[in-house]
Amino acid sequence: MSAAAARRRLSRRRAWRLAFRYLAAVALTVVFLFPIYWLFSISLKTPDEIFASPPAWYPASIQFDNFKVLFKDGDATTVWNSLFIAGTSTALAMFLGTLCAYSLARFKTGGDNLAIWIISQRMIPPIVVVFPLFLLYVWLGWVDTYHGLILLYTAFNLPYVIWMMRGYIEDIPIELEESALVDGCTRWQVLVKVVFPMARTGLFATAVFTFVFAWNDFIFALVMTRSEVTTYPVQVTHYFGGQSNFWAKIAAMSVLGAAPVFVAVAFLQRYLVRGISMGAVKG
Amino acid sequence: MARLKITGLKKSYGATPAVRGVDLDIPEGEFTVLVGPSGCGKSTLLRTIAGLEDADEGTIEIDGEVVNAVRPRDRNIAMVFQNYALYPYMSVFENIAFGLRARKTPNAAVTTQVHQAAEMLGITALLARLPRELSGGQRQRVAIGRAIVREARLYLFDEPLSNLDAQLRDEMRGEIKRLHQEIGKTMIYVTHDQIEAMTLADRIVLLKDGLIEQQGAPLELFDRPATRFVAGFLGSPSMNFVPATLEQTGDTLVVIFADGTSLALPASRAAALAGRIGGEIIFGVRPEHISKAGNGVARDSHAPLNVTIDLVQPTGSRTYVIFQLGATAAVAELEVHDVERPGEHLTLLVDMNRVVIIDPKTDLVISHIGSAASAA
Amino acid sequence: MSTLANDSGSRMNRFADRNFKYLVIAPAVLILLLFGIFPLVYTLLVSFQNINMMETDTSFSGLLQYRQLFSDIRLWESLGHTLLIVAIALPIELIAGLMMALLFLDRMPGRQIFVALLVLPTMIAPIVAGATWRLLFDNRFGPINQVLGWITGEPQAILWTIRPEYVYPAIFIAEVWQWTPFMFLILLAAMSNVDTSLTEAAEIDGASRLRIFFKIMLPAIWSVMTIALLIRGLDLFRIFDVIWALTQGGPGTKTETISIYAYIQGFRQFETSYTAAMAFLVIFLLTIAVMFALKRMEFVR
Repeated sequence: MSAAAARRRLSRRRAWRLAFRYLAAVALTVVFLFPIYWLFSISLKTPDEIFASPPAWYPASIQFDNFKVLFKDGDATTVWNSLFIAGTSTALAMFLGTLCAYSLARFKTGGDNLAIWIISQRMIPPIVVVFPLFLLYVWLGWVDTYHGLILLYTAFNLPYVIWMMRGYIEDIPIELEESALVDGCTRWQVLVKVVFPMARTGLFATAVFTFVFAWNDFIFALVMTRSEVTTYPVQVTHYFGGQSNFWAKIAAMSVLGAAPVFVAVAFLQRYLVRGISMGAVKG
Repeated sequence: MARLKITGLKKSYGATPAVRGVDLDIPEGEFTVLVGPSGCGKSTLLRTIAGLEDADEGTIEIDGEVVNAVRPRDRNIAMVFQNYALYPYMSVFENIAFGLRARKTPNAAVTTQVHQAAEMLGITALLARLPRELSGGQRQRVAIGRAIVREARLYLFDEPLSNLDAQLRDEMRGEIKRLHQEIGKTMIYVTHDQIEAMTLADRIVLLKDGLIEQQGAPLELFDRPATRFVAGFLGSPSMNFVPATLEQTGDTLVVIFADGTSLALPASRAAALAGRIGGEIIFGVRPEHISKAGNGVARDSHAPLNVTIDLVQPTGSRTYVIFQLGATAAVAELEVHDVERPGEHLTLLVDMNRVVIIDPKTDLVISHIGSAASAA
Repeated sequence: MSTLANDSGSRMNRFADRNFKYLVIAPAVLILLLFGIFPLVYTLLVSFQNINMMETDTSFSGLLQYRQLFSDIRLWESLGHTLLIVAIALPIELIAGLMMALLFLDRMPGRQIFVALLVLPTMIAPIVAGATWRLLFDNRFGPINQVLGWITGEPQAILWTIRPEYVYPAIFIAEVWQWTPFMFLILLAAMSNVDTSLTEAAEIDGASRLRIFFKIMLPAIWSVMTIALLIRGLDLFRIFDVIWALTQGGPGTKTETISIYAYIQGFRQFETSYTAAMAFLVIFLLTIAVMFALKRMEFVR
């Protein structure tokens, strides 16, 4: 076979394989995204469309009434609650956790034992701790309060922040800090002037994942709040009825809860692997 | 054993060309070394021969069969990688046996062949170990073992010795040469180290910027370089290049340097350089072709040079000295005790038979020891 | 790493500097101790007492609660349900994740977009995922039944979240949908990190794609894979949100997992001490499982 013919056969085979892979990729994406699409489409449909049988596959016209209802009824404030609680706990967890991570990374404080204990905290099933913590909170009077939930999320995000930031800090060449020390900085200054700026991408990525964990939590919010403080995941379950569900509200509230996360993912593509796998694979 | 023929090969990575048009014709059983500085395209060329990359243009023929569209596993070639690429979770035995097992060779045959290869390389005692338990040199042997056990028709080596320390490298060089003598297959070897190239090759292919600068037997390239690049690449320490002008004094051609120093060229060079009188040239001489006067080497072809030594670098077996030639710092390789300390004044003798004259505008060598007889 | 004495600081500063590494971990560790150790200790104490809805008997009751554990059929059924879920969902997620990772392993334009999109299910709140599938599975208005109707040619009105024979498939579908992308992402990253010269050498040696996958790729990603399985396995064990959204443990107690049962006992029935004992049982079982898993991982190495 001539060289040119051989090359043509090669590229044709390649093309088929690529086409097949694209087909599979698109099919997978459709299957995985369909439920999300459905959720979004219900949130935009009129009651007639929602309760049509056979179901309407797309809203005839996009209307935001379902969302408006949430805002009017005041249910949408739960989203603000979630934002406030998740945001504050993230800030707190990031600050304390990064400090701790620095100590672990540079000084190996507490050695392996401390590190292992910290990571094991992440493995504890919430159901085990939620009960005694509830009793503690009752005793402290922290049930159904903002600060109670914030502190709880902070505590449960700390292991993750410490673990991740330790990895990111270890990646920073130590010479930078040593040269700052030689130049006369105190340890605190080294932290603030050298470490934080160098680790800022890691800080950002970890912060977003921490936020998402707190944002999405259900069980702690369910147990620790009553009527004063409600986060959006709990609110969604209020719309489940015995026989009938407030579908439009379920969908609209879910969309409000899911949308910020999608935006975060768009920004964070590069850090997805490391954030989700907790550094098991350096991504 | 296979004949390899490459015609017009071109390969680019995106907008960056790696190989810009290479023609090679390698007969059976020859040991060919592809050598050149980083980025010259030698690894790309090798990987294209292996089938790990596709050529953009040109053909690759093994034993007359065009293999451009043939997958690596079907080309019947073997390859030794720079980082050994040993399968970390398999024993040495299984590593070597891998290719045989992939081709469904019966167990008895596998055992025999693996043992044969292991004996040839002296690693029989290591067969049960895991790669991570081996030293660098041992791993390299296993990698070679994996390649030779399969009786492929073409063997490719991608800088196999780069990761070894100097002493091991010397040792393994000898092993590879001995291997080629024993099994006699066609081998293509990539390296950036010119010593490896010189000692191992039947033929050197020197590449620069994706093109072949010169190819031929090692000594051919060493004594009769075609370009300045070739002259400077081979040989360690590398050749001295000093700008000068070519003048004629009476019947003799003379090389005159910036500071007025002059060296007379032997008559044999006159024919080749006839048309260059009065012009600028670059004078090239290897450090080992400069010696100290009085060491009993004086011949007609040796021209004297009076210099002041600036720097002395003894290595134990030779002493390298640096002095000014014209406006350039030049290196000479002298006997151990020729010079004691810098600042000494010395008379050196330059072997003018072996010098190389280069045209500064084209960087082509216009006169070397071989062109003495023929006209330019 | 030694600290540098800083002459220009006050004694306070020098103290801070020298003990920097302890000061800096102090707040985090204190919080963790409060939220980590305290619950465990307290749970242990309470489990030896006899507190429930009716009475608050804080006297030492010995192993009263623990003995009750063993005769509680509902408890063991819930454990059974939990193990069933782990045993079925985990392999599905693993294999599907592997296949997806292989699909996206080689370069292809737009791959990053596909990956980002495919990861979205994992990022939404599990309770929202559950709610979403509840909508999808609705017997009259949900598209699942609609599509099934097209395929089978007759209208389907499957009560996914109510009929006992359909609840588990529903749960599996929702759970696998949400978490396969997690496995996919981790496996894709691990596979991408495998030294290409290994696969190239194997290719030149004549190995088929299948052989390369099983003998080269799989061993190379083994450690990451086992960690991912461990994380997902533990997560599956404590599954709560998705089931709560779909069936609330029903019909009856058919899909009640250990977490749901514990929640009901603790927060609906207020069987405080009993729940505490259950909590310790769970901790005990999990610790054994984790240690067993870790040991096996060491062995394979």
